[in-house]
This record gives sequence, C-alpha cells and structure tokens, in this order.
Amino acid sequence: MVTSAMETAGTLDQATLDALRESVTGVLAEQCNSTALHAFIDGKNTLDKALWAQAASLGWLGFGIPEQFGGLGMGAQGLAILHGELGRQAAPGPYIATLSAAQAIVETGGEAIGQAWLPRVSSGEVSAAVPATLDARGLTRSSAGVSGTLRCLGAADAAFLLASADDDWVIVDLAGAEVIVAPMWDRTRDMIDIRVKDAAPLGLLPDGAATRVALTRTMALAVAADSAGGARSITERTIAYMKTREQFGQPIAGFQALKHRAADLATKLAVVDEMVGHAVQRTVADESDADIWASLAKSEVTDACVFITTDCVQLHGGVGFTWDFDPHIFLKRARLNEVLLSGNNALRDQAAAALAAITMSGRSALELGL
Amino acid sequence: MNILESPHDLSAFRQAIRNWLAQVVPPDWKARMARASNEEYIAFQRWWMAERSKVGLAIPHWPKEYGGGGLSQRHLVAIADEMARADAPQNRLFTISLIHMPGTLLPHGTEAQKRRYLAGVAKGEVWCQGFSEPNSGSDLASLRTRAERDGDHYVINGQKIWSSNSMYADHCLLLTRTDPSAQKHRGITYFIMDMRSPGVEVRPIRQANGRAEFGELFLTNVRIPAENMIGAENNGWRVAQATLASERGVISFEGGERQRYEIEAFYRRSLETGAAWLRDAQLYREFVSFLAEMQAARRLLRRVLEESERQGASASVLPSIVKLSSTVLRQRICSFMVRIAGVDGQAFALLAEEPFGSPMFDFLSAFSGTIAGGTNEIQRNIVAERGLGMPRI
Repeated sequence: MVTSAMETAGTLDQATLDALRESVTGVLAEQCNSTALHAFIDGKNTLDKALWAQAASLGWLGFGIPEQFGGLGMGAQGLAILHGELGRQAAPGPYIATLSAAQAIVETGGEAIGQAWLPRVSSGEVSAAVPATLDARGLTRSSAGVSGTLRCLGAADAAFLLASADDDWVIVDLAGAEVIVAPMWDRTRDMIDIRVKDAAPLGLLPDGAATRVALTRTMALAVAADSAGGARSITERTIAYMKTREQFGQPIAGFQALKHRAADLATKLAVVDEMVGHAVQRTVADESDADIWASLAKSEVTDACVFITTDCVQLHGGVGFTWDFDPHIFLKRARLNEVLLSGNNALRDQAAAALAAITMSGRSALELGL
Repeated sequence: MNILESPHDLSAFRQAIRNWLAQVVPPDWKARMARASNEEYIAFQRWWMAERSKVGLAIPHWPKEYGGGGLSQRHLVAIADEMARADAPQNRLFTISLIHMPGTLLPHGTEAQKRRYLAGVAKGEVWCQGFSEPNSGSDLASLRTRAERDGDHYVINGQKIWSSNSMYADHCLLLTRTDPSAQKHRGITYFIMDMRSPGVEVRPIRQANGRAEFGELFLTNVRIPAENMIGAENNGWRVAQATLASERGVISFEGGERQRYEIEAFYRRSLETGAAWLRDAQLYREFVSFLAEMQAARRLLRRVLEESERQGASASVLPSIVKLSSTVLRQRICSFMVRIAGVDGQAFALLAEEPFGSPMFDFLSAFSGTIAGGTNEIQRNIVAERGLGMPRI
C-alpha cells in the first residue's frame, strides 16, 4: 500500500515553507535570470538541461515524492512553491509534466510502479510526458499493446508517458516511440507528438479513474502555481520599468491612469495567490472538496494571469512588443498554461457539478477554518 | 449570564455564544425588518444592543478598566464568526460607537474623556462621525468647517456630510479647521461634539437604494467646551488616522463570512427549487468563479487580521488590496443577482428576508463598499504609491 503524499507530508509550518521558497528563489534568480533565459530562447545555451541537473541535485524533483521513494515528502505545499518559483523565472524544462505524472503515481500507482519510476524521477534520471489535455483520446489498447498518436506536454527525451488508453491508464516506454517536437510560441516548455504502435505498457495503473482524478488535481495545482508566479514576476518587472521610463518629463509610473492599473494588477495577484493557497490547503488536509478548488484554481488563476501578462505587455509600450524584452515570454507561457489540462470552462462545469452534489447532500464546500 | 466569564476555553466560549444566539435571536427578525419603518428598525437596533449588553457582548473588545471584556482578537473573530453563522442582526447603528470612538479615544483621549464616554456606549449611546464635507470627500484634509476659540469654548461653523446614523446620534467625532493659514494637514483639530448642542441641525440624506442611513450636519455657532478636544490643537489629522485605521479588521471579516452564508443559502435554494439560471452554463460558470474569488477574499480578510496583530501593520497596503478585491467582488455578485432575477428583480423592494431577495437593493447598496471609507480610486493610489513605490506627482 502506497502512503499518500498527504499522510507523509502533513502540514508544513510557515517558517519551513518560507525557507524552502527562499532557497529555490535564490538559485533560480541567479541561474535563470533574464539574460540566460533570452539566450536559451534563442538557442544559445542549454539552460533547461543545466536547471534540470541543478534541480535534481538540490532535491527539488523529489519535493512531492514520499521519502520511501527517494523524495522529500513535502506534498502539495512543496510542489506549489517549486512550480510558483519556476513560473517566476519562466524556467525552461518539463517540470509540470514530470512532477504531475510522479504525483499521480504516488497517489494511485501502487508499490511496484512507484518503486519502478519515482526514485528515477526524484534523482533526475528520467523525465515524463503527460497528455497536454486530459480530454484528448489519442491512444487505444488491445492485446497487442498500446497504439495511437497523442499531443503531450514533456521533453523530447522524456522516458515515459502516463496517459489513458481506452478506459485504462498506462505507463508507456518512450524508448521505442516516435517523438516529434512541436515548436511552440512558449519556448520554455516543449510539446511533443508521441506516436506508438503496439507498445507493451510498462505499467497498468490499478484504478484508472483515480489516476485521472489525481493527475487532474496535481496538474491543475501545478499550472495554477506556475501562472501565479509568472504573473507576479512580470508585474514586478513591469512596475520597475515604469519607474525608469520617462515621457512628458517624468517617469510614467507617476501617471495616475497607469498607477491604477498597476494597483489592480497587484490586487489580482493577491487574489490568485490565495486561490492557489486555498486549493493547496484543501488538498493537504485531504478534504472532499479539494478537487473542486484545484480545478477552479486552474481556471480562475490562468484566466487572470493571461489578463495580467497581457496588460504587462501594454504597460511596457513599444518595447513590450519586442522579442528582446521579457513580457512576451511570460505572456506566451501564460497562454499555454491557460489551455493545458482542460479548457477553463470545462473545469468550471466539472466544479459546478461537484459543488451541486456536495451542497445537495447537506454539506458545505465553503469551509475555511479560522 | 455573562458569556465572558470563562474565555480561556475558546470552543466553550463559542458554544456559549451559539447557545445564547439560539435563545435570543428572533427567528422572524429578517422578515420583520424587511417591512420595518425607520423607527422600528432603530428600536430593534437598540433592543439588540441591550441584549448583547446583558451577556457582556456589547463591548467585549474594550479594555477591562473601561468596562469592556478585555478579550483578544481571536475571541472577537469567534464572536463575529458565530454571529455570521447564526445570521444574527448586525449592530449597524453602533458601528461608530463600538469601533471608531474607542479606536480614537483609547490612543488619543484624556483619561477624563475615556471615563466619561466609553461607559456610555454599553448604555446605548450612539456616536456619529463628522469628517466628510460637501467639498471635502477624497481630499478630506481640505475640510473647511471652522472652529474658533472663544474663552474656554470653541465656536463651530460649517457643514458635514455622509455621517452615518447622525439623526439618532448623541455624540459626534468632529474634524474642524482651527488654523486656515497653516498647510492643510496641520490646521485641523479634533473634537467631541454633543449632538444636542444648540446650532446642530441634521437632515437625512436619501440614498439611491431608497434608504436614509446618512445625515448631513449643518453647524451654526455650535459651542464646544475646550475640554472636548481630542489630542492637541492643530494635531487633529494625526488623531483622525487612528479613527480611519480602526475600520479595518473584524467588521470586514464578519462581512465576508456573512456573504459566504448568504451565497450558500442562495445556492442551496436554487438547487432545491431548480432555478432557471442553473441551466444556463455561462451563468453557472460565472457563479462558480465568484465562489473561488470569495474563498480567496475570505482568506485575504484573515490575513489582514493576522497582520493587524503584528508590529508595523499600519504601513501595510493589504487592507487596501482587500477592500479593492472584496468590494468589487460584492458589486459583481450583486450585479449577477440582478441579471438572473430578470424583470421581477426590477420590482421595487427594500431589505428582503431571503438571501438576495431584493437584488437591486443589494446591488445599489454595494456602492457603499466601493465609495465609503476611502473610495476605491483612493485605495488604488495607496496601493500604487505606498505598496508599489510608484512616484506621487
């Protein structure tokens, strides 16, 4: 029996979380600064590989993985911090795909599949791919094996794929698969088209429905945290720029029309952080409404972050439209996040159905505690 | 019974409040108030204050030496939470008396003022606030109501506006100009004004939502004893900051909790009756988005409470961020309720018994959130300048 991440993790105190965030921030701010990121986007360095190696050596890839599988057992709280900080620097790499697949395996994979893959994820030896959207039905399964084509989030050298094939959820070895990298507007993450023919599944998840639920929740949290971190970062960079850019003989940050927009962005950022925090808190507490709030965190936060990153381009003026400045990188990342996992309205519809069920049963999905 | 007798066990404290509320809150109070005249509403407010007073819940947050319960913020939050949960009446008539007056007098009043005025609130004395003027709204420091020294009195002439419940008030927290030649923040003096003084005339202001909760004060040669000054002459602006800061915290928290129960009751009833809006996917999506924003807003309100217990909290712009997000959300929720109510929702009605039973009333009332207590535009200036360090030009 696999111990769930929640049971191992419990709730980490604020001081631990703050220290964790600081350690991740410090490394990323140095290694994944704007200059390095622009060079990566232009194909002049391999920042993604360097960061992945660094993440592995610092234990980041094991944040959500229980200790028995070689991780640090910090559950959803640890993962939210990591994804938030990766989003902050628009860090390139297959973190959302790999860590979300790992988390679904932690929760629903069972001992054998867990032992086979989780220590290798934690050590950075392998990365994973997951379907870019979970409603995609690209793969089928017969006695001959798994076949089909699927658009996935993951690196070109991903070792395995966690996906549904007909009604089952399987792990597919990508060593023998045809993998085509699809060039993306967001150059900080890779989308790959995976084609397999009669591939023997490396693992069959014992309860496919549970795996779908777990992957949906963990990916929703990851995408939301990444978006919130990115939106905060580009807003800070935008305000810093507005204090230096002068027009009409004064910094444009002094114009009230722009100040009010900046204040509205700061307000939205405070709200999206709490949406992520609420979903993480319900997940860690293993509440029955956790999936609702994770889905809504993804839909609401990614929508808001598209708005915020769009406004940051506009607030930069002409340079916001150039390749050389940062805003477009964050805008493109926000737009990919917006459509990953599932359309935001589909997530709202799922949340509505679950809310209705809880409410009609006489319970409440709005508890918060004090 | 005094609920404050053994506050050490917080869950027992909560249970005591819950038991008392179950006994004392009339089940039909909302229905009665929905049809009540102004006089009946005021009488009800006074009755509720008296009931709270009987069990020690009138002024539980004040220091014991001034007749209060000396309770911690955690207890106040528990009281607010239980009041919201039970859908108990709010003590709107006494907001200034319970929050702003002690928030001003405790740090800045003389011992004699504290002794005299704090004790009166538990007995039902009503306070109002004379800050805004017809030409001094967001630019409060430009106020022109004049106070001139005459022996051991000051003589007041001027006009105040947006003074909540001033029609029923016994005392007023009054800001006046004592030095017209000084820089505008430096010539202001703060007084306690007896509302029964000759020369005080109050006219109610009829609001867009049909009610009249505010009054306009016309002050003609009103004499205030010099001992009623709070703080030093020409130092009133600094004292006023304490009044304004006292608005933050538990009241907003309680408002957020009340809205949660209101929305939940509305949603449950919609599900039970198969309301038409549930079959409109776009409306339903909008509604679940509100729920996510509401949970975020409730968490932010809790952060303000946590922060207010720490040192240096007054420099934080979080209360402004919370005001911006919560009041705009309230307005959007009420706007949604107006839309789904259709033509029926346009039929004139004031307070309603059912949650969002009069959506136009709620929608119009929501402007008190976005305009009062420093307009949202002023809050945006605060966030941008103090929070984001954008230059003031």
